[in-house]
Amino acid sequence: MATWAVGARGLRGLLLDVSGVLYDSGGEEGLGSAIAGSVQAVRRIKQSGLKLRFCTNETQATRAKFVQKLQQLGFDVSEKEVIAPAPAACRILQERGLRPYLLVHDALAPEFDSVDKSNPNCVVLGDAANNFSYENLNKAFQVLIGLETPILFSLGKGRYYKETDGLKLDVGVYMKALEYACDIEAEVVGKPSKAFFLSALADMDVEPHEALMIGDDIVNDVGGAQQCGIGALLVRTGKFRPCDEQHPEVKADGYVTNLAEAVDILLEQLQR
Amino acid sequence: MAARRALKAVLVDLSGTLHIEDSAVPGAQEALRRLRNSPVAIKFVTNTTKECKKTLLERLRRLEFDITEDEIFTSLTAARNLLEQKHVRPLLLVDNSALPDFEGIDTNNPNAVVIGLAPEHFNYQTMNKAFRLLLDGAPLIAIHKARYYKRKDGLALGPGPFVTGLEYATDTKATVVGKPEKTFFLEALRSMGCTPEETIMIGDDCRDDVGGAQNAGMRGILVKTGKYRAGDEDKISPAPHLTCDSFTYAVDHILQNLL
Repeated sequence: MATWAVGARGLRGLLLDVSGVLYDSGGEEGLGSAIAGSVQAVRRIKQSGLKLRFCTNETQATRAKFVQKLQQLGFDVSEKEVIAPAPAACRILQERGLRPYLLVHDALAPEFDSVDKSNPNCVVLGDAANNFSYENLNKAFQVLIGLETPILFSLGKGRYYKETDGLKLDVGVYMKALEYACDIEAEVVGKPSKAFFLSALADMDVEPHEALMIGDDIVNDVGGAQQCGIGALLVRTGKFRPCDEQHPEVKADGYVTNLAEAVDILLEQLQR
Repeated sequence: MAARRALKAVLVDLSGTLHIEDSAVPGAQEALRRLRNSPVAIKFVTNTTKECKKTLLERLRRLEFDITEDEIFTSLTAARNLLEQKHVRPLLLVDNSALPDFEGIDTNNPNAVVIGLAPEHFNYQTMNKAFRLLLDGAPLIAIHKARYYKRKDGLALGPGPFVTGLEYATDTKATVVGKPEKTFFLEALRSMGCTPEETIMIGDDCRDDVGGAQNAGMRGILVKTGKYRAGDEDKISPAPHLTCDSFTYAVDHILQNLL
């Protein structure tokens, strides 16, 4: 039996990454496809009585649309169970009285409808996909370089992710580009930021040692959770590549074929 | 500090130092003429990757600068030399107008990525294509890593941010062939028979021109034209040998103090 599973008996809450764990995004209709066994796995977690939050860096859709898509793929998930960077960023902007220049996916923009975007004094960068044009990045750069203290928020800092037609560059690449251009450091909203994981735990009223994170990103999911004292498993689906198991800095608490296998092992332990 | 040897060579940046797009920096032609009347060798070293040597030369002549093609050493030349050494077939993310400097290089079925200043290629699709080649082990060659450059409508992103992004995505380091690399400055000096200690560099980019040259053992003069922004001279250590208003003042300093 996997050694990580021994600790599973004190488990009260699960954090699941979504893209690459529940489903692979992309495809002709943009719906993507569920990863085998994941729909049932989510249902079984809920039946077990474990608390559950979906901890995503998804920024290509509003939370509402994102949840709809997951429901269409057959997942039992509601909006209040999803912790996503854009709503968290909106809160920060309002608290600090900041007006963003947005470089985000068209489908995410409605999330910022209520935010004042005139005369911007910061930049919010999301996974903008086709909107990552030279012109748009240059506008973001010009806003930042024109500020006395440039403030750049990045919704996650992933390197790349997998879509049905191949690997795609993620927001972190463009965050690094703007950091380098302006000689600044971005504030990351989303995984792997500590505040983001802790807000998900607070939402479940669960302590770090009572929680487990399951994701396909060795640095942002596994490394991020572990920094908060949360155990973390790496699935061999989504963007997973075999070299991730030999990562120089991050070692997962366990490696599993997919979410279904992780849930099989966990539930067996919890029922003992 | 050890006594400096007499100055024998001057390296001069082009864009931002002698001209800004299609306008000469006021007084620069006259200052260059005065410099030519002194006993120093001159070379024009540039990271202006959008244009092949021939185009650069045509513009400089239109602006009435007295310059010959063999005096120009560009980062495109340096990149081409490296591709030939490595025997690789590049995906060329360079401006179309730079392509003449790569004539004869096989670009079918690419197994290397070359990045210059190419706004038309810095889109999501092409960046993803470059990324996938790099993941398959293709080397990343950056013509230079400038953060930004000056356009008539303000500052604009250079190739450096895009190179840095791809480095982050693939956990690799690009081989940079342009300024501020030491090899670039030394390569520029090779045909001149001078040592770095006998050379001074004049440019508007504190890190890439002045910092790079000083790192290669030369002295560096920062001019406050082109992309210069207040306080740039504090960005490197040791500080520039001199910071002055324009190329004209840099030439005055050389003629009065360094010969």
